Amino acid sequence: MTMDLSRRQFLSASAALGGGLLIGFRTGPSIGAAAAAFTPNAFIRIGSDGQIVLTMPYVEMGQGTYTSIPMLIAEELEVDLKQVRLEHAPPDEKLYANPLLGVQATGNSNAIRGSWQSLRQAGATARTMLVSAAAKRWNVDPASCRAQRGEVRHAPTGRRLKYGALAADAARLPVPEKVVLKRPADFKLIGTPAKRLDTPSKVNGSAVYGIDVRPPGVKIATLAQSPVFGGRVKSVDDAKARAVKGVRQIVRLDDAVAVVADHMGAAKKGLAALVIATHFQVLP
Amino acid sequence: MPHTLTVNGKARSAEVDDDTPVLWVLRDVLGMTGTKFGCGLGLCGACTIHLDGKPVRSCITPVAAAAGKRVTTIEAVGATAAGKKIQQAWIELEVPQCGYCQSGQIMSATALLAANPKPTDGDIDAAMSGNICRCGTYVRIREGIKHAAKKGT
Repeated sequence: MTMDLSRRQFLSASAALGGGLLIGFRTGPSIGAAAAAFTPNAFIRIGSDGQIVLTMPYVEMGQGTYTSIPMLIAEELEVDLKQVRLEHAPPDEKLYANPLLGVQATGNSNAIRGSWQSLRQAGATARTMLVSAAAKRWNVDPASCRAQRGEVRHAPTGRRLKYGALAADAARLPVPEKVVLKRPADFKLIGTPAKRLDTPSKVNGSAVYGIDVRPPGVKIATLAQSPVFGGRVKSVDDAKARAVKGVRQIVRLDDAVAVVADHMGAAKKGLAALVIATHFQVLP
Repeated sequence: MPHTLTVNGKARSAEVDDDTPVLWVLRDVLGMTGTKFGCGLGLCGACTIHLDGKPVRSCITPVAAAAGKRVTTIEAVGATAAGKKIQQAWIELEVPQCGYCQSGQIMSATALLAANPKPTDGDIDAAMSGNICRCGTYVRIREGIKHAAKKGT
């Protein structure tokens, strides 16, 4: 499928600022703040400060995808679920399309099926590069090093380095074409019960739902549509609506009238002041 | 004249009409999106906040009615003893599914526990019946309240 090609594309290395390396596409607006980060693909970002951020391509709506998707990545990356922070993916179909649907969407119960291979591969790629970086620093055979719980360990000498300390070095390495995935018998996370990672954010109000997204300068609108199919707006008297504090604009469409305001309270009050229903008429 | 409110202990002001529901002041004017919009008619409980510790539906509470009162939202309810226990119980029992109604559930449950540290099933039903959950987490909500109550005051 085309997936292999696009994966290789985003795994192709390109130099970046700050002694770090961005590999492939940028992962979101916060990338500028993490210039010294190790970003081997669009799903993993490891900062020199040790922060491990995973980018979620699927929407969490109670099905647990903010836990199961991190499990796929963390399994191969060799980090604990407690060590990762999650970010939602920005809109970018090239990077974050559901491999089975071909669009950036969540549904059909196919997130795990679709990402089973690619996200484990993303984790394994990062892990392989971090191990290489450590082996290089210690001047030892990478095969004698092992990744575990967010660090690389060299058992013969007892040396260990956290991923954050290796991020800048790993970022300078070429991205391997092929990486070895773990055998299912060696899985430590996949197949085990896990506490949901999104629960804390859903008990303290910090979880961001679609309705909570606030792009800079955004206004709030609500609208009245024709109550019957084919109805058209005949006339609108918006004098009272315009007088509502916080109402910015009345937008007249063929079959609807929208009220744009600073907040939903004003938008709804403005809409009610329009008394729209009497102004629709069905045209032949 | 802007309205001055005490939200989670801080003085905040909003230049809105007197009849603007507190919900929209919180969400759209102050940018505090933890309090959720559900029905806008006081029927579902998603928008529950505390006014002087009492649970109210912020979607039908005019901003003028909140003047001079202490507004507490999900963002700060954990600073109260009952709220902290409820939030902890919610995490330990993994009460939320999608989580959308849970801000309101937690605000109602916290008000219940603060007023009645040992609620019976009947007390819980009476206090929580106005908070709807489409995922159907009611059984865990009840267990969560009991779990929090067991921790004592």
